[in-house]
Amino acid sequence: MPTTLVNPMNERAPQAAPAAPRLATLQGKTVALLDISKPGGSVFLDRVELLLKQRYGVTSVIREMKPTFAKPAPAGVIEKIRGADAVIEALAD
Amino acid sequence: MPTLRLLAILQTDCPTCRLITPYLNKLAANATPIAAVSQDSEKDTSEFVRQMEVRFPIQRDPGFALSKRLEVVTVPTLYVLDENDRIVRQEPGFDKTALNEIATLLGLAPVATPYDGAPASKPGCTSRHLEVQTEDAAAAALDLHSPRGAKASSIQLADSDDPYEYCYRAFGDALPVVPPTAERVEKMLRAAARDPQEVIARIPPCYGEATVEKIAANAVMAGCVPEMMRVLIPLARAVADERFNAHGVQATTHFAAPLIIVNGPVRRELHFNSRQNLFSNTARSNSTLGRALQLILLNLGGARPDAIDMSALGNPGKFSYCIAENEEENPWEPLHVEHGLARDQSAVSLFASEAPHGVSEHNARTARGVLKSISYALATVWSYRACMGYEATVVLGPEHVHSIHHDGFSKQNVREFLFENTGVPLRCYSGDDPGEGFAQRGLYKEITIDGEPCYQKFRAPEAIKIVVAGGTAGKFSAVLGSWASGPRGSQMVTYPI
Repeated sequence: MPTTLVNPMNERAPQAAPAAPRLATLQGKTVALLDISKPGGSVFLDRVELLLKQRYGVTSVIREMKPTFAKPAPAGVIEKIRGADAVIEALAD
Repeated sequence: MPTLRLLAILQTDCPTCRLITPYLNKLAANATPIAAVSQDSEKDTSEFVRQMEVRFPIQRDPGFALSKRLEVVTVPTLYVLDENDRIVRQEPGFDKTALNEIATLLGLAPVATPYDGAPASKPGCTSRHLEVQTEDAAAAALDLHSPRGAKASSIQLADSDDPYEYCYRAFGDALPVVPPTAERVEKMLRAAARDPQEVIARIPPCYGEATVEKIAANAVMAGCVPEMMRVLIPLARAVADERFNAHGVQATTHFAAPLIIVNGPVRRELHFNSRQNLFSNTARSNSTLGRALQLILLNLGGARPDAIDMSALGNPGKFSYCIAENEEENPWEPLHVEHGLARDQSAVSLFASEAPHGVSEHNARTARGVLKSISYALATVWSYRACMGYEATVVLGPEHVHSIHHDGFSKQNVREFLFENTGVPLRCYSGDDPGEGFAQRGLYKEITIDGEPCYQKFRAPEAIKIVVAGGTAGKFSAVLGSWASGPRGSQMVTYPI
C-alpha cells in the first residue's frame, strides 16, 4: 500500500534579495563600517577606515555599532547606514 | 458610562501593526465599535485584510488627511474616542498592558496574556506622511503575524521506497525518524483539537510557520505520544518568544542549546523523568519532547548544522535536551512557581544552555560546604575570567538539597550564598596575554572571598537559576552555563501548559 507523508518542513519559499550592484570604484564614495560589538571589532575597523581613505580615496566613512552581537541590528542602526554606497560589517572576534 | 469607540491608524507593511492586529480582532469580536485607517493603497490594504483576517472595518487615508489632522507620529496608534470625538486615550506602538487597559475602558475582558508568544511591547514605525521618501521600490511586506498558515503538502511514496530511508534523504536529519504518515499526524491532530492551519509561532531564524499540523508532523518524527501536543503548543510559543532569542541561540558559534525544564502535574501525567539519569535517554517523554523541539527548530526554523548553525563544537543536547524538576525532593518552591505560576499549573521553561558540568561533593555535610564546591564550578562558566555577562542553572541533586535544607537555607539563601561566594581572584588578571574577561574588568565588582580579593562572577543573585532534580543516591549536582544572557542575549522563559 502506498505511503502518504505529511511534509514536516518549512514550505514557504525564501524571498530572494538580489545583491546590490558592485561599485566600479571607491573614489569619492561613502562607506559604512558596522561593528557588531564583538571584542576587537573596532581595532579592525579603525585600520580598514584608514586604508579606505588613504589608498582608495573614500571620502566619507559612517561608523555604527550594534548594541549586541547576539541579535539582529535594530531598525535605528540600519537607518543610519542606509545612505552609504557600501557597507563593511566586522562579523566576529 | 459614556459610549467610547476605538480608532486604529495602521500601515500594512509595519511589523508592529501586524503584531497588534490579532488583538484588535479580539476586541472587535465583542461587537465593540472599532475601526481602522490604513495609510496604504487599496491593493496593499486588501491583501493585509486577507492575510490578517481583519474583522473590523478598515478605510484608507487619502492624502494622509486624517493622519495629519491627528498628528500621528507612529503606527500603530490607537485612539479611544468619546461620543464627541474627543480623544480619551492615545497609545502609540504595541503594549500588552496598554491594550488590556483599553479593553477595560471599553468594558471588555483583557485580550493580551504574557504567554501568547508576543513580546510585552514593541515600538511602531514612522507614520507614512512623515517618512523620508526614497527612490527605492517598497519591499514586499513580511507576513509574520497572520493567524493561519498554508496546509502542509502531501508526499506520496512509491511502494519501492523505504519510508525511513526516504525521510533521511528528504529531511536530512542525522538520526532515524518515525515517518510522518498522514494517519500518524491525524492522531496527533485529534489530540491537539485545534485548527491544523493555526499558526502557533514562527520559528527563528528563518521564521517558518509552526502550524499545528507542522508541529504534529515533527512530533510524529520524534516519536512523541499524541498527548504530547499539549506540551508542544506552548513550547513552540516559548521558543519563539523574543526574550529567549532563538535567532541568536540557533546561529551562534557557542555551545548553547535550548534546555527544556518541565514542571507541574504534567510530569506525572506524561511520565517525564525527574530522577536518576534525567539527562540520559531513560524516559520516552523527556527524549521525544527534546527531540521534537530540535526537529521543529531544524525543519521549521531552518538552523541546520553547518549551514546557519555554525556552532564550533556543538552540544550533545542538540539531539534532545529535556529534564523535569524533581518537585517531590524539592523543599522549596519549584522553578515555575518562582516565575509566577501556581504549583498545580504545569509549565515548560527554556534555558539556552551548555552541556551539564558535574559537581561531586561527597564529604561536605553542611550547606556552606556543599555550596562552596558548587561555587568553584560556577566560577568557570563561559570562561573563568569573564564575569557579569553570563548566567547559570544549577541542578541540585536531592542529597545535596537535603544537606542544604537541613541547615535552614531557603532557595533565596542558596542563590545569595552562591552569588556572594563565586568570584575570580584578581591575581588571575595579570600576565602578558591577559585573555577573555580582562578588557571588561572596569565593569566588575571587587569583593573578598575567604580573605582573597576577587571579582564577583555574576551580576545579581537572579543570574543563578536553581532546579532540584536527579536521583536520591549520590551526592552530585550540575552546573549549566548560559549563552550570552539578559536582554542583550537570551533570557529564560516559562510558559504554562
